[in-house]
Amino acid sequence: MVIVKRKELSLSERLYVPEIVRGLSITFRKMFEKKITRQYPEEPLVKTEVTRGQPRLVVKDDGAIACVSCGLCEAACPAYAITIDGGETDRPIEREPKRFDIDMLRCILCGFCEEACPKDAIFMSDELELADYSRQALVYDIEKLKRPAAAMRRRIEYVNRINDRWRDAPRPPMLVGRDAPHGAHAHSPAAAAQRPHAS
Amino acid sequence: MNDFAAKVGLTGEQLEHLLAILVRNTVILIGIISVAAVMTLVERKVSAWMQFRHGPNRVGPWGLLQPLADGVKFIFKEVVVPNGANKALYVLAPALAAVPAMMTIAVIPFANDVVLFGKNWGPLVVADIDIGILYLLAIGSMSVYGVILAGWASNSKYSLLGGLRASAQMISYELSMILAILAVVAMAGSINLREIVESQAHGGSIADWNFWKQPLACFLLLVASFAETNRHPFDFAECEPELVAGFNTEYSAMKWAIFFIGEYSAMAVMSSLSVILFFGGWSIPFLPDAPWYLGFAAFLAKTSVYLFLFVWVRWTLPRFRFDQLMRIGWKVMLPLALVNLLATGAWLTFFGPPGAP
Amino acid sequence: MVKITVNGREVEADPKQPLIAACHGHDVDVPHYCYHPGLSTVGSCRMCQVEVQQGTAPGRVMVACRTYPAEGMVVSTESEKSHATRRECLEFLLKNHPLDCPICDKAGECDLQDFTYQEGQATGRSKEPRRPLEKRHSLGDVIVLDQERCILCSRCVRFFEEVPKKAQLTVASLGSRSVIATFADQPLTGNYQGNIADLCPVGALTLKGFRFQARVWNLVKMASTCAECSRGCSIQVEVLRGGDVKRFRPRENAAVNRWWMCDTGRFAFDHVNAKDRLVNSLVRDGHGLAPRSIEDGIAAVRALLDAHSDALFVASPFCTVEEGASIQALAKRRGTTALFVAPGPNGLKDALLHTGDPCPNRRGLTELGLQPIEPKELAKKLASSKAAVLFGERVVELAGAAAIAALPTSTALAVFDCKAPDAAACTVAIGVPTSVERTGTWINVDGQKGPIAAVKPAPAGVRALARHLAALDLRAEAARS
Repeated sequence: MVIVKRKELSLSERLYVPEIVRGLSITFRKMFEKKITRQYPEEPLVKTEVTRGQPRLVVKDDGAIACVSCGLCEAACPAYAITIDGGETDRPIEREPKRFDIDMLRCILCGFCEEACPKDAIFMSDELELADYSRQALVYDIEKLKRPAAAMRRRIEYVNRINDRWRDAPRPPMLVGRDAPHGAHAHSPAAAAQRPHAS
Repeated sequence: MNDFAAKVGLTGEQLEHLLAILVRNTVILIGIISVAAVMTLVERKVSAWMQFRHGPNRVGPWGLLQPLADGVKFIFKEVVVPNGANKALYVLAPALAAVPAMMTIAVIPFANDVVLFGKNWGPLVVADIDIGILYLLAIGSMSVYGVILAGWASNSKYSLLGGLRASAQMISYELSMILAILAVVAMAGSINLREIVESQAHGGSIADWNFWKQPLACFLLLVASFAETNRHPFDFAECEPELVAGFNTEYSAMKWAIFFIGEYSAMAVMSSLSVILFFGGWSIPFLPDAPWYLGFAAFLAKTSVYLFLFVWVRWTLPRFRFDQLMRIGWKVMLPLALVNLLATGAWLTFFGPPGAP
Repeated sequence: MVKITVNGREVEADPKQPLIAACHGHDVDVPHYCYHPGLSTVGSCRMCQVEVQQGTAPGRVMVACRTYPAEGMVVSTESEKSHATRRECLEFLLKNHPLDCPICDKAGECDLQDFTYQEGQATGRSKEPRRPLEKRHSLGDVIVLDQERCILCSRCVRFFEEVPKKAQLTVASLGSRSVIATFADQPLTGNYQGNIADLCPVGALTLKGFRFQARVWNLVKMASTCAECSRGCSIQVEVLRGGDVKRFRPRENAAVNRWWMCDTGRFAFDHVNAKDRLVNSLVRDGHGLAPRSIEDGIAAVRALLDAHSDALFVASPFCTVEEGASIQALAKRRGTTALFVAPGPNGLKDALLHTGDPCPNRRGLTELGLQPIEPKELAKKLASSKAAVLFGERVVELAGAAAIAALPTSTALAVFDCKAPDAAACTVAIGVPTSVERTGTWINVDGQKGPIAAVKPAPAGVRALARHLAALDLRAEAARS
């Protein structure tokens, strides 16, 4: 146990008034210091590559979006902001979204969709302003979400660079056959039992 | 003009006098309400600067029209009367809080004899009565009714607690305030505010200000006026962390705003009073014969400094605890005020009034 | 029965059943692709390899689907050796697999995904390009084959050979060029094609009707019973976000349908997805049927019943036994017996599951004492009676919409149906839920109970038939007292 002794107050401190004067002098001096508030509309937010704004669908050079409506962003979205309905397309990717809605009022700009996307189709843009006259207008559909890749290049390159950190890392040893170290994988029977019998 | 006067059965001089009173009183009343409005902006600006912020700066240049915008907003907001509130008292309370503050303005002398259009219109005061201080204290202490009725009529525990605290606090500090003022009154030998000013002004030097003769009384009056106007560090009637907003929790729109007009008017009155009692009112050091408008400006300047002090203290000091407030009121302020009064009385008895040969 | 030891636990096993069945029977999971309890075993995927020790010999890795339990056998499904073997096996299976899970409809319920995660083979080692094959190969009206995704387990081939007993598929070509194909590229035929999409452990065989319609993890799944025929196959109803039914899939039920269902039933969700539903009630006034509240509708039915003491009570064959009992009770109280519409065989009967009888609850309603009546006879009977009340989902459709529409206005008709009827005789119509919006029981042709489940909420303004019947009954009581 630590006993912290109460500080002995000096006479001037006990008289209180000198301390008040000291406090007043501090606040008075601070009045003339530089203001730290950012004057927002005139002084826009500094946007860097790590700025996570609203998610946008990247339009590739061929004019199409890369999304195949796999639904991983929808599943990853913690705010249930994304709704996707897929459909068939004649393009080689077979599957494309017929409906891709992001409710921007629900979106919390967490970036999980960007992280989940296996097709590099959705990225966090640096767009942050959001205002309209109705809730419905802020549910963005594919057309509103489309952004040319050029406009998002900085973020795309940043995300690729971050991902490359893992790609370039030395690969773990192949855990196959005799290479596998003994007991490398703990297979708990409980986990196995949880999976229903696939018939 | 004389024809018109004859028609209404007055002499021309009487009518002139009547008009002068009308104009003067209107100007003073509008002035005090404007002070309340300007003070809201000052309060927000100063607090912002002390916290490295800009404060309101969107409405008009430097946010100067912000009070106007606030006023418009208050007028258009909905008045919500809580369930179970005593409606008559609920509506009456803001008026009771604001009206005394405005009434007390009546005896504040803003400047010496006004000379305009080659004529002396008398001192710039609504009512130059001989019992000025008595009137001021009597009316001023009525504002506690507004606060306690607001607390009672709102049918809310927070409001009620705020009202109770306010009444206890105001009554406690009223005593020391009056005793502090009494010391000055004793020295000036008058309770007419204009005469008190003149008693400090005749020499034309700073040394004549009562502040030098009664520094303790000045300090006590300052502290008491914080408590009387429910300002930091004694704003227990509002006390956000404990009582939501205290006595005005349930108030909204213009009714809420009237409380604040009352608070700022009371601040202005207390500042004026302090300036009059201790800092020579409209007198300007080394310029004993300054024209009335310079005196008026000096009065405003001195009062502004005092008002700034109110704001400055609010954004510097933390709030006391209620028991600390009571302890300071009864165990520090009151004995000090009594000792000060006794000492003043003794001095006067043995050495005569200051300045007298 | 023989005693074997599985993962250190001594269990009884049937020596005539493969080892994998014994393991599954004792809650020991063995991953597998080609094995299916309803099909013969071929041991082609090699995924079910487990370590087996017999006598004093050292443990050997064997495929559990082609090994049969023997007395004293010691089986380890979790040994390092069996895991390593399975991982190697998976690596081969994934060698040419396109890994287009984001596109694949199977993702989320794919055995290849599940076992790959389970066995922990995170990355592949091959640098060679994957074998390109046809990705959109149509196999008839029902099935699309993605040849790249196929792992050649041959479940689909064996299904056609063994269940409908008409071989239609085979493994064509050799080696890495092997693909599943029909004979002479003919489209698949028969009423059981859909089952191979369920059987396929990967996303190679997919339903054309379900293709890219939904991600499987977004589907709300509940056990129910097929409404197509009186077989009452156990099914799983899958609904996307509380909206449309996207799939009916068979549910294992040894007493009724084992693992299968017919395509007629599998795709019979047009009716439950119909958008033109009857909500609240319609009551005839001077200008025709006008929308009214449910209470007004019930009052109108009540008035009809009060005016005509000889009103006919006709139930739909989709009525559950619970609804049927209430209708019958109401009829009995008025001294009559309820009928139910029972259309005759629809010609879809086959040797496997489909009974050809479109009344899923014929047996249940008959046992309750409701009288089956052919639509033609019903039309005659209705035309000659003063008033009738038709109860239940699709009752107008099954009684013959044209015949009902042609009824003379001398017959006052009250209808409880999902759709607004187009009949001059109809004086009041009240909405009821479909078979995916209510709960109850059907009795199938063999007397097996088939529960139906409310997988999604009924549209606003639609109450269960049971509530309408209760309201009618309560008002009857009130009128009597």
